[in-house]
Amino acid sequence: MATTADQFQGHVDDHGHHDHGHDHPGFFARWFMSTNHKDIGTMYLIFAIFAGIIGGAFSGMMRVELAEPGIQYLDMFSRWFGAENPDFTQTLHTWNVLITAHGLIMVFFMVMPAIIGGFGNWFVPIMIGAPDMAFPRMNNISFWLTVAGFVSLLCSAFVPGGTGLGAGTGWTVYAPLSTSGSVGPAVDFGIFALHLSGAGSIMGAINFITTIFNMRAPGMTLHKMPLFVWSVLVTAFLLLLSLPVLAAAITMLLTDRNFGTTFFDPAGGGDPVLYQHLFWFFGHPEVYIMILPGFGIISQIISTFSKKPVFGYLGMAYAMVAIGVVGFIVWAHHMYSTGLSVNTKMYFTAATMVIAVPTGVKIFSWIATMWGGSIEFKSPMVWAIGFIFLFTVGGVTGVVLANGGVDDNLHDTYYVVAHFHYVLSLGAVTSLFAGFYYWFPKMSGRMHSEALSYLHFAVFFVGVNMIFFPMHFLGLQGMPRRYPDYAEAYTYWNQFATWGYMVMAASIAIWFANIVYAFSAGRRVEDNYWGEGATTLEWTLSSPPPFHQFETLPVIEETAHH
Amino acid sequence: QDAAAGYTPMKPTQGVGMPSEAGLGFQDQYSKIGEYGAWIHNIVLMPIITVICVFVLALLVWVAVRYNRRANPVASKTSHNTAIEIVWTILPVFILLGIAVPSIDLIAKQYKPAPKSALTIKVTGNQWFWTYGYPDNGDFEVISNMLNLPGQPVVNNGIREVGSEPWDGPSHLEVDNRMVVPVGEPIRLQITAADVIHSFAVPSLWFKLDAVPGRINERVLMVEKPGVYYGQCSELCGAKHGYMPIAVEALPRDKYNAWVMTHAGGVIDGQEAPAAAEAAPAEQPAVDTVPVDAGVAEATEAPVE
Amino acid sequence: MAGTKNHEYHILPPDIVPLATTLGALIFTSGMVLFMHDMPGGTFVPWLGLALLIASMWTWFTKIVHEARAGDHTPVVQLHQRYGMILFIASEVMFFVGWFWAFFDFSLFPTTLTEVVDGQWPPKAIEAVMDPFALPLLNTLILLCSGTTVTWAHHSLIHGDRESVKKGLWATILLGVLFSFIQGYEYLHAPFAFGENTYGSAFYMATGFHGFHVIVGTIFLAVCLVRTYQGDFTPRQHFGFEAAAWYWHFVDVVWLFLFVAVYVWGGWGYPTH
Ligand code: HEA
Ligand code: HEA
Ligand code: CUA
Ligand SMILES: [Cu+2]
Repeated sequence: MATTADQFQGHVDDHGHHDHGHDHPGFFARWFMSTNHKDIGTMYLIFAIFAGIIGGAFSGMMRVELAEPGIQYLDMFSRWFGAENPDFTQTLHTWNVLITAHGLIMVFFMVMPAIIGGFGNWFVPIMIGAPDMAFPRMNNISFWLTVAGFVSLLCSAFVPGGTGLGAGTGWTVYAPLSTSGSVGPAVDFGIFALHLSGAGSIMGAINFITTIFNMRAPGMTLHKMPLFVWSVLVTAFLLLLSLPVLAAAITMLLTDRNFGTTFFDPAGGGDPVLYQHLFWFFGHPEVYIMILPGFGIISQIISTFSKKPVFGYLGMAYAMVAIGVVGFIVWAHHMYSTGLSVNTKMYFTAATMVIAVPTGVKIFSWIATMWGGSIEFKSPMVWAIGFIFLFTVGGVTGVVLANGGVDDNLHDTYYVVAHFHYVLSLGAVTSLFAGFYYWFPKMSGRMHSEALSYLHFAVFFVGVNMIFFPMHFLGLQGMPRRYPDYAEAYTYWNQFATWGYMVMAASIAIWFANIVYAFSAGRRVEDNYWGEGATTLEWTLSSPPPFHQFETLPVIEETAHH
Repeated sequence: QDAAAGYTPMKPTQGVGMPSEAGLGFQDQYSKIGEYGAWIHNIVLMPIITVICVFVLALLVWVAVRYNRRANPVASKTSHNTAIEIVWTILPVFILLGIAVPSIDLIAKQYKPAPKSALTIKVTGNQWFWTYGYPDNGDFEVISNMLNLPGQPVVNNGIREVGSEPWDGPSHLEVDNRMVVPVGEPIRLQITAADVIHSFAVPSLWFKLDAVPGRINERVLMVEKPGVYYGQCSELCGAKHGYMPIAVEALPRDKYNAWVMTHAGGVIDGQEAPAAAEAAPAEQPAVDTVPVDAGVAEATEAPVE
Repeated sequence: MAGTKNHEYHILPPDIVPLATTLGALIFTSGMVLFMHDMPGGTFVPWLGLALLIASMWTWFTKIVHEARAGDHTPVVQLHQRYGMILFIASEVMFFVGWFWAFFDFSLFPTTLTEVVDGQWPPKAIEAVMDPFALPLLNTLILLCSGTTVTWAHHSLIHGDRESVKKGLWATILLGVLFSFIQGYEYLHAPFAFGENTYGSAFYMATGFHGFHVIVGTIFLAVCLVRTYQGDFTPRQHFGFEAAAWYWHFVDVVWLFLFVAVYVWGGWGYPTH
């Protein structure tokens, strides 16, 4: 085996020389050739933060443009992407490029890498008492494929995509706008971005499922696993079964665009609505992929700071399983206005509402976990409580949209934008920050400033609610999505939302300040800096944990609870 | 257009069929379906979801106050209570059943087919304007473009600016030629698209149906009151997705007939409109200057009447 | 404690291959974009990417074989591999679900709005389809037969009869190659073109992806054959072989669905050619 790796680290096998295996590899080997779940997790987190800043900056560009009716800044933005003297159509096209990139980046390159690749990689092996993931090398390629997908997506912004530079199809990439409607290489780069990162995610899913099934420490039965591990297990199954369908769908886009097939081209008998079925068969499970690990993080935090085991543990675990299963049979609630038959529409209305039941079980069990507890309001707990409320608000508007007849007036309006930002930008992202403050000292060995964390929460909470709550009003009033410009009557709440963005942006600055503080002045932390409530295995390790943990597997006693 | 032919476009009423300044709820509804839908939202759904959110918030506040470390230094160890778990599983089921009953009923009503005699109007989405065909009235076609916005780059070449006629409604929403329909009658809308997917949506009529190339989607529209009702394309359809509004003008039957007669080839009860009422100039399609970007030429053909 | 590994898991040294593989993939996809838009580099960049991709995957899989020989694949690691392979096949199943979805959408609900289809399946523009009971049936038999030969090889392996393993594998591989040739011949003589309408799209993409999987499976089996000659695989440890066999059965089952749905049912009563 003539890899350069051998110079850095001895090969660990049954034939001896184990002792070399624990020196830290050199810089290049450590970060570009990593087979260590914690290092890979760290890279995922850094990547996600980077992507989140870009996606967040794009949303800032969108918000300033939407502050007033008329087109103010888009022309400038088109030039940033390299358009020379863009005409008005190109200028408007740039709007579509912005929302497409924003949606894709936030979904595929911020939330998923952070919550599954980052926290999942870091803590799933540790929480089940395993030394690493089942397939450490495949773990690495999952990460790099995500990066490659991101690169491909960025490339798309600078090449022609029909009426201007970049892919302006929306993150849903509906045909035929994405086929005959977008001539030029931009959309192909976008499609390949999804192929690449999708392949990475499928391999990640295989890795997680195998790890969780096979590498639990002695005594750690499935019903003793921490809920975060459960959440990643369910999420991995959703990824494994839904992403390949997306792969097929976007491959059809590719061949329709370049090789003369007519899957979605009516001239050859094809059906644009078929694309939507395939996309949402993936797309709906995808939204649970983005939130389930968040649920898991919240469960750990609530239990830790209430100093109580999770209430109704089995119900919590199987509620996630139920959400995952039902999540596969509700996809057409995104398509109520495509002309579904009456029975189809009724079925999807009923099926969709069912998901409120297991989700309600989770909300109430979190509250019941706190009930009777001795609650400490450390920063992760504050974020977690914020999550419960904000996610509820986003969830119940989902139930409104689930009603096919009501959705006819709300579909593709800002009501939908409000709904999904409440579950994503206020739900998933809040769970990310909760997890961040919960585990950052564990990962880095340094304590953040609790004061700054509270401030971050408070400012963020005010900011995002200012951005997204008024969007309900805009939606009810009929303002359509994906519009760079709007009728005067919509000005008031749009302006309000843009002010909210400024507030939210300040909170992100506070967060960065907190990170800088932690690395420069944060106190070094002990193994279990949260105290008696923190009972999962990561708290038995040093902070940061050793390069290879659990050389000797921990044994979980019969009586231990989750 | 010429008022001589017995038709002048209607002046919209402020706040009717359009969004209102800093509005909070649905636009007022002017169809039976819309009234029912808004009722379900305002009377059934809104109260339920508000109560749920307030309930969750109240519980959170209560546990924070009652079970914080100072108020309750020693945590209990209860982690199960079968009774309460059953309650919070079953109760939402009943709430959802309660929602489902009117909701399913609304869907059933929306799909009631139009009577055979109903007037058919063909709606076609194009990048980026609408065409309305009237097969029952001589099969003439109306091309509908957004009016240009003062102080903004030209959206549609050769189209006037909004506000230049006394009957113009809000900017971004008003068009050169509205889709005129008779009031109080069920109308069979047949919706399709010529290029990519668009969506024909009018919030105050509770109407939204996608215009999908290669499909014809059909749904009944019935407007209760004369007036102008504005809507906007509601499926991303390319660069000018934001600039292809919809204006539905509902008129009493006699005025509707008069409007039909202003079109060359318009027919009411077998009576053809006199050729004098040549409406063509007003319906000149917008011919875009076609941007040629980075070597990719895009062909925009002027739609032919 | 530090430095002593007291568990059976496989901890790997740092490795550049994943990054190299990714670069290969990214260069390949970007090159394909160049190719599809007749841009400079379109004729060679995809090949470059493909070469890097194949070379890195070759290196990767070679390493796995070496690690197996070095004894790194303890029982639990072998169990990982079993799970991994089953899950990978599950994801492949879902990939084919996508193509079957398209096929059934078109065949069960043929549109009436275009002359090309005219509300019928196969579409009106299709003058003739393949006779399912000619070469496709032969191909079905070939694949079924190859399923038995690979099982023969497996049983021989378990019983330590290495000569029969080689024979069984040779037979399976030859049947696989034969299948691919017949499929290629069919494509060349098919009475309908690639693309152009829903039939040409659904048919070729579904059977084409299946064909691609047959080729991959054949290569996988060929690697196993080479390894058999090199003395790999014991009656107790031969997961590489089993994975290839599982994959082969999966490819076989997909074909049965294609044969029944696309060839037989999908062309029932239509003129053949
Ligand atoms: C994290 C992501 C996430 C999550 C968790 C959800 C959760 C839900 N979503 Fe959402 N959704 C999206 C992300 C998400 N969604 C996105 C991104 C889109 C838009 C995509 C696009 O078009 O671009 C979308 C769009 C969308 C639509 C389509 C709207 C349209 O385009 O017209 C619908 C319609 O049914 C819907 C419904 C639901 C429902 C019923 C839930 C449920 O799971 C919610 C369940 C939760 C609760 C109900 C709250 C807690 C429960 C209780 C306190 C118990 C008591 C409650 C009751 C009895 C009601 N969503
Ligand atoms: C997870 C998904 C996600 C997130 C977080 C956001 C965040 C934001 N979104 Fe986005 N949005 C989408 C997903 C998301 N959005 C999608 C899918 C669409 C639809 C696109 C389409 O129509 O095709 C959309 C569309 C959309 C629109 C509608 C555009 C239109 O229809 O014309 C608007 C308008 O204001 C908007 C605004 C914002 C704003 C102001 C934020 C702000 O909250 C952004 C502030 C930034 C953050 C809060 C992120 C900070 C996080 C990090 C830096 C990483 C942290 C990592 C760790 C802790 C490890 N978004
Ligand atoms: Cu037409 Cu959007
Ligand atoms: Cu959904």
